[in-house]
Amino acid sequence: MSAESAPAPTVAPPAGALVLGPSLRGLRPMVLPVATAAAMLLFWQFAAALLRVPAVILPTPAEIGSELWQALPALIGNAMPTTRDTLAAFFAATILGVGLAVAIGYSPLLRDTLYPNLVVLQLVPKVALAPLFVIWLGIGSSSRVAFAGFVSFFPVVIAAGVGFAGTDPAVLRLCRSLTASDWRCFVLVRFPFALPAIFSGMKVAMTMAVIGVVIGEFISSQAGLGFYILNAGSRLNTAEVFAALVVLCVLGVALYGLVALAERAVRRVYSRH
Amino acid sequence: MALLEESFQKRAPVAGRFRRSMLLPLGSAVLVIVAWQVLCAMMRIPPILLPPPSAVWRVLQSNYAILLDEALPTATESVLSFVIASALGVALAVSLSFSAWMREALYPNIVMFQLIPKIALAPLFIVWLGVGEKTSTVVAVFIAFFPVVVSSATGLVSTKPETLQLCRSLAASEWQVFRMVRFPYAMPFIFAGMKVGATMTMIGVIVGEFITAQQGLGYIIMFAAGAGETATVLAAIVLLCVIGLALYVVVELAERAVRHWYGGQMPVGTVI
Repeated sequence: MSAESAPAPTVAPPAGALVLGPSLRGLRPMVLPVATAAAMLLFWQFAAALLRVPAVILPTPAEIGSELWQALPALIGNAMPTTRDTLAAFFAATILGVGLAVAIGYSPLLRDTLYPNLVVLQLVPKVALAPLFVIWLGIGSSSRVAFAGFVSFFPVVIAAGVGFAGTDPAVLRLCRSLTASDWRCFVLVRFPFALPAIFSGMKVAMTMAVIGVVIGEFISSQAGLGFYILNAGSRLNTAEVFAALVVLCVLGVALYGLVALAERAVRRVYSRH
Repeated sequence: MALLEESFQKRAPVAGRFRRSMLLPLGSAVLVIVAWQVLCAMMRIPPILLPPPSAVWRVLQSNYAILLDEALPTATESVLSFVIASALGVALAVSLSFSAWMREALYPNIVMFQLIPKIALAPLFIVWLGVGEKTSTVVAVFIAFFPVVVSSATGLVSTKPETLQLCRSLAASEWQVFRMVRFPYAMPFIFAGMKVGATMTMIGVIVGEFITAQQGLGYIIMFAAGAGETATVLAAIVLLCVIGLALYVVVELAERAVRHWYGGQMPVGTVI
């Protein structure tokens, strides 16, 4: 943002920008947050060491790092089922969600009937249903996939529904006057127009899928990062909890990044037409 | 959502629109419940797997004293943590909007936090705060806080540059600009964040009660699920839905009141 406003003569540069050279100024948005995060970690390390905070309450980042290094094989082993369940839930939610949104987009009757109910369901705390999925599907991974899929389904339908409803009516009229078939209309106009909304729903769905799988692992699982965290927490091994959290955060951000990358790739394909 | 509502409104005349937009969804919901009841009776589904709605209603009717007793701590925890998360979130967003340095240093980290599954920190809060109401409240605050910050901060910095230039040329002070322009303009964003925050609060409180609490509807759900009393689980879920929807409706009403206060001139925000 500062790189864009810098050339404008009316805007005075922020005080700190004068210290940095013009080539460094572009790096500021990258360097500043990373430096802040590093400073916080350093502060944590020294504060915990100086105040002698017991490791059970808050281990130092160094302790967490060494725990992470030692437990890495076990952590990766536990990350596998979590990743698999999350991806399965995410894909199921995306396919079903976009499918239902397409149906809603084509039938006004279906839309008037279902959409308000979907919005209400989006608002109610679906997390409370987790134990029911265990009753229905057992403690295996199918109950976690179903639960996480259920939780992440709603953001996709609602976002995609908004996307399909927001197609520019002028473009649709043009299509019709060019006697485009419904199918071509969908492939060439409706779907590309709805893509940004669909992807924003998919991004929410990916974070919800991770949350759903972790909650499922809290209450029913014998493996996975959620199980590992709860297990380490009940043994009061806080460093191990944090190490598992680090892995989980990396996993969450990586999965989100995949959706963002997919969005870019799809956008490039469509901008070529 | 606004777009969809708009296309709804173009479609039908006023009376028909009302009938259609109210009756159809309600009718289909009632239909699903009736079908559920009939299916349960016809297929003889064991009540442990899926009790009919009438059984859920019976549980609500006969055990309402116990259920309401447990709903009270859940409701207070939800309201309390929602209020704290909103206040802290808006306060941090305001301070971010005043300092470009702080914004650039903190905002990307906050967005990062928004992406990671924070719910996984819940067991740590047990280590820090013990088992009890405090833990579920703090877990809920921690989860609901981030959507409020991110959305409010986006709103506070996305004031139209023309308006800000006008303010500057009228020699308005920084505080005046904030009070009369930035903050009112950010209102839709703040409320959008608070709505997401309200649903996140419920998730935090329930998960907190799942893993820690000795009381509350989350505890009832876990306990009843363990005992195979599915009808009780569903009854508790009904009450949770009522609490969650009530919280959301209060936020929605507050938004309307604020909009009325500002003279209905607020721009339409986008949900983050």
